[in-house]
Amino acid sequence: MFGWKGKILRVDLSRGNCSVEDIAPDVRTDFIGGRGMGLKVLFDEVDPLIDPLGPQNKLIFSTGPLTGTGAPAGGRFIVVSKSPLSGAIANPCCGGYFGANLKFAGYDLLIIEGKSPEPVYLFIKNDLVEIRPAGNLWGKWTTETEKQIRSDMMAESDAWEINNTSIVTIGPAGENLVKFACIMADGGRAAGRSGLGAVMGSKNLKAIVATGTGDVTIADVDGFKNAVMEFLEEGRENKALEKRRMWGTWSLPGRANKTGTQAALNFKTGYSEEFTKYEDPAYIRDRIRVRDEACFGCPFACSKRSRIADPEYPGTTKGPEHESMALLGSNCGFGGLDDICRANYLCNELGMDTITAGATFSCAMELFEEGYLPEKDIGYPLKFGNTEAMFELMKKIALRRDFGNLLADGGKALAEKYNHPELFMGIKGMGMPAWHPQGFEVIGLQYATNNVGACHTKATLPFYEGRKDPAHGVEWTKQDQDYVAVVDCGVLCWIIYHGPLWGEKLLSWLGVTTGIDYTEKGLSLIGERIWNLERLFNLKAGLSAKDDCLPKRITDEPRVNNQVVHLDRMLPEYYRVRGWDEKGIPTPEKLEQLGLTKEGAGVR
Amino acid sequence: MRIKIDHTKCTGCKLCEVACSLQHTEAINPWRSRIRVFIGEDFCLPVIAGPYTEAACNAKGIVMVDGMEMDGCVVCRASCPVKTAFKEPDTGIPLKCDFCGEPPDPQCVRWCEADALTIVIED
Repeated sequence: MFGWKGKILRVDLSRGNCSVEDIAPDVRTDFIGGRGMGLKVLFDEVDPLIDPLGPQNKLIFSTGPLTGTGAPAGGRFIVVSKSPLSGAIANPCCGGYFGANLKFAGYDLLIIEGKSPEPVYLFIKNDLVEIRPAGNLWGKWTTETEKQIRSDMMAESDAWEINNTSIVTIGPAGENLVKFACIMADGGRAAGRSGLGAVMGSKNLKAIVATGTGDVTIADVDGFKNAVMEFLEEGRENKALEKRRMWGTWSLPGRANKTGTQAALNFKTGYSEEFTKYEDPAYIRDRIRVRDEACFGCPFACSKRSRIADPEYPGTTKGPEHESMALLGSNCGFGGLDDICRANYLCNELGMDTITAGATFSCAMELFEEGYLPEKDIGYPLKFGNTEAMFELMKKIALRRDFGNLLADGGKALAEKYNHPELFMGIKGMGMPAWHPQGFEVIGLQYATNNVGACHTKATLPFYEGRKDPAHGVEWTKQDQDYVAVVDCGVLCWIIYHGPLWGEKLLSWLGVTTGIDYTEKGLSLIGERIWNLERLFNLKAGLSAKDDCLPKRITDEPRVNNQVVHLDRMLPEYYRVRGWDEKGIPTPEKLEQLGLTKEGAGVR
Repeated sequence: MRIKIDHTKCTGCKLCEVACSLQHTEAINPWRSRIRVFIGEDFCLPVIAGPYTEAACNAKGIVMVDGMEMDGCVVCRASCPVKTAFKEPDTGIPLKCDFCGEPPDPQCVRWCEADALTIVIED
């Protein structure tokens, strides 16, 4: 077996048991890894109707056959679970080194189940797997937690061993079951969307430590080497990637703002005066960048470590990425770089998703400014741009104190409580990402039909070359959703391998690494199977076509380019292209074609 | 001919470790690589394995790199009895850079996109 390690590590926190299982060969071939294999486990083992924060939910850390091989930009991992934020399937993707280190320790998948009676962390070093007390870590912020664990390791390990160890952890937000808490990894990476930090917190699991000294093997070593060399050469010629390497996502806030398609003031507009300075991305890079920070095996290093001169936040952190800048910044009515960095820093350290946090704040701000939410409830005059109140409230969210307790349930719950559900700019409870759907209509369809909720990383955005023609928007959406599902199985990076850019590489990496003769047709069928199985999980969990929606502001109020998103026109066509009935349920014929007849039984 | 390291350019992608272990063992495993990258907060530091030394240092040295205090064992190129790096994980056999390729064409340099590793030809 090449690529895969072929092993699952299962940890039952209720009983304190750890066990190792083999992965069946057909599961490997059919679901590849990452998002697909994690989904397969969740679907088979977890009733979609369970309480996501109850002990029956499982948290699956899933790597793919390419994780840890050095296939360029292929070092990622996926966390699969049922989301406490949306009630739907969750599969955030995360970079850094954790995925590779889990593979070197000998495991493709790590399944966490049950609930520990007290705070613990999990320590994995090759065959040694220990559940250790974490009383002294509980309450700590994420970087502090990581540093404490590394410092505790000094008793048994030398500097190189500690340096080759990865840690994923939750912050106070995850401990206190904030519904948009994230899982942080390797000092600033995030499995951000869907609130899985709260799932980890509900299990009393503070952190997971992974290190290992095992091999990852390749079927065709020479083929692999040649493919890497070729790829690196092509990468050097590619202007788009050159930009990514230099600026990361910092070239985007200015560009989105200039074209008026940036989330601003709770999506009331697509433009922020204060963001015009970001039209030159050097403005950001020159001020805050510490270094370019690659994920395992990625020659592009688009992520940037940053620091601002502020005694209250002395350390470095990752980002802020474009999404964080827009959602926490322009969308909340401010644009100063230091303030955006503070907000990003706080979210990372407290362990919460910057996008849904931003969407929740902007919702609260609009409710306040419209007079629907009284100041006495909040404790602050929470106008757009009131950063001071925002930073205080962020800490209160993480601890579920005062008004923070309400915000901690997310913008959807907040807007409903104050009788204006239309003011939360999110889908399936999840805050909408930075690109304003009225700028590119198809993005609206992508957000609305995404199985996990409003997330931008599960299709190909319609401003990339080869995806611009709106006439093919629906068709491309389906095709790219299926394709990205396979990218997420690798686990390759969506940013580098989205649709038109190097789609064909996925095939060659999987081929030379695993030795299995995948075909393009075969892979797209696998992607479609994954998308449909996720859909079945959601339908069984109680979601339906009415959840494939957009905020009224996006479909009814022309805010950007004097346009609205005609979801009512696109959605029936999308269902048809997918082979689903008018209620968005996969037809028996489609299920049979995908080999999901058994899984789809009883769904209507 | 030697390999020049410019740590300010290193992004910590570890493709050099992948290249080296693939070249020497046909598998991917940082612990079997003759070059290792230490990931710091402000910078990353590639270190290439030098010769094995029987003796271990008596004192633990602290070295300043770019104004940051670092464990001297990290900066040291030697494989030695007390250090985990530059040893085969199963057997403990010491590892040393052999300037691979014929004619010499070290794979770590070939795979380094950031140009943190370059070949320097001296007369």
